[in-house]
Amino acid sequence: MTLLLASPQVSEELPDGVAARRIAAEARDRVRFEEEALALSDQVYRVARRLVSSREEAEDLVQDTYARAFRSWKSYTPGTNLRAWLLRILTNLNIDRGRRVQRTPDIQPLEEGDYFLYNKLEESTPDGNAEEDRVVERLSQDSIVDALAAVPHDFRNVIVLVDIGDFTYADAAQILDIPVGTVMSRLHRGRRILKRELAATTVGGE
Amino acid sequence: MATPDEQDLCLKCEQLLQPYLDRDLTEAEMLIAERHLDDCGYCRKRYRFEEHLRRYVHEIRDEQMDPALKARLVALRTPLV
Repeated sequence: MTLLLASPQVSEELPDGVAARRIAAEARDRVRFEEEALALSDQVYRVARRLVSSREEAEDLVQDTYARAFRSWKSYTPGTNLRAWLLRILTNLNIDRGRRVQRTPDIQPLEEGDYFLYNKLEESTPDGNAEEDRVVERLSQDSIVDALAAVPHDFRNVIVLVDIGDFTYADAAQILDIPVGTVMSRLHRGRRILKRELAATTVGGE
Repeated sequence: MATPDEQDLCLKCEQLLQPYLDRDLTEAEMLIAERHLDDCGYCRKRYRFEEHLRRYVHEIRDEQMDPALKARLVALRTPLV
């Protein structure tokens, strides 16, 4: 099998055998990298799908992410978290797009506390003092998908990475290139915004 | 009807809700939350609801990746001849 991996700078000064072995080793590393990255594509797509609002956008984002990942595979350190590395590329691409297309920072004050959604749902449940599993039944998967899509990007990113993608705060901080404290504060606020949106879609807001 | 002191505790408990579920409380704060939750059905319901909600968000409906996209990703690989 011949590998189409030209590497002129390696072959210039080294004896043929050494250069060939290096090229072959690099090709093996590259193939392994590509296979490992592709094995994660379902998980990468899952996160992408929740970061953007349409299927088409998610597909474009994943495709651009893999194109960039395959081009810059040498900057990945083997043995580190490849899923986080891929998602860092993906979120950067998404942020670049967001800057071009829509940037909607949430600057309005958020007065509601963490019991707000429950209180709203309970108030509007026929049996006013229902158990919490009756109240939670009022929420549908569709309402959560819609509410999440309404959360501004910066906050949605951390919810998707931590609460859906199971990344640690530290991983999310690294992926988004922000301090861990910012991840925590955006998560806290983002969850509240999500609940406000859920109240609006499920009960009809104020 | 809750007394003003009890209302303060409920308010405190509401502030501790997210860090409690994230296991991000100091021991002292944990004790405050758990003692209050033992006594307060109002807060207990809201804590359980939040746990349900977290699970719900975590299990948000999945859409399978289109096999055509997977094929496009494979096609991005460096060709081997």
